[in-house]
Amino acid sequence: MEADEASEASRPVSEPPPRRGWKLKGRGHRGTRSEESEVSRGPFESVEEEQSGPLKSVEGWIVFVTNVHEEAQEDDILDKFGEFGQVKNIHVNLDRRTGFVKGYALIEYAERSEAEAAIDEMRGQDLFGQPVAVDWAFRKSPSFVFFA
Amino acid sequence: MDDEFYLRYYVGHKGKFGHEFVEFEFQPNGKLRYANNSNYKNDSMIRKEVTVTKAVMDELKRIVEDSEVTREDDNQWPEPDRVGRQELEIKLNGEHISFTCSKIGSLLDVQDSKDPEGLRIFYYLVQDLKCLVLSLIALHFKIKPIPV
Repeated sequence: MEADEASEASRPVSEPPPRRGWKLKGRGHRGTRSEESEVSRGPFESVEEEQSGPLKSVEGWIVFVTNVHEEAQEDDILDKFGEFGQVKNIHVNLDRRTGFVKGYALIEYAERSEAEAAIDEMRGQDLFGQPVAVDWAFRKSPSFVFFA
Repeated sequence: MDDEFYLRYYVGHKGKFGHEFVEFEFQPNGKLRYANNSNYKNDSMIRKEVTVTKAVMDELKRIVEDSEVTREDDNQWPEPDRVGRQELEIKLNGEHISFTCSKIGSLLDVQDSKDPEGLRIFYYLVQDLKCLVLSLIALHFKIKPIPV
């Protein structure tokens, strides 16, 4: 106990005590974090009503594909996912270091039924010899439950 | 605590056009908050909020884990200065890192630094994270984020 108190006292004043259970690292913990952090303030605009289930985006429904092979091409993905409806938008982002596909893709359909079909049919399907995972990208935030 | 994955990134500076920055945050429940302010040509603040699915959170976590950034330390990195500051805060697998750094213009800045290996990991991870967030925000809200 005494050893703990001693180390407590020798810590610089500006350093907050570590939160229990987390191993802390970095200068940000020593009070050099920006005072202007914006995300901890509100209000933020959003596009939703509070329920469960997938969330519609401004112009359609966004499907999120993961475990995409690093050598997959946008055209290969378009070919497969175009079977369920017209793909309005596709983002296949690259690893900034290697230049290969990072491993995920975002696909936009106009209709919910098209996105649902893509999720149901493509889930677990092989793309470049790798089974892809397919799901919604956005969901409604869980509704609050009030007890009377 | 395994489910308490949290990530926040900030980059910004104060200058001729006021406080200009981009900041985003993923909360453990999937809530993504994005704030972007540029006063250039009287652009106004953008604040957007949307909940992403577990599939997106898992992919984000994979990207962070693959980078092994939590093994690094920011004590040798260039400190935030007048040109700008970056902050990367991550809670993952019992570790809570809160790294700060100046803006990094190019890989030359990385190579000339005291910790090129660590800074390179940070440099590429930040680009990969921005890339994912900008795709999510652009597709969901149909806005073009402002570069800082």
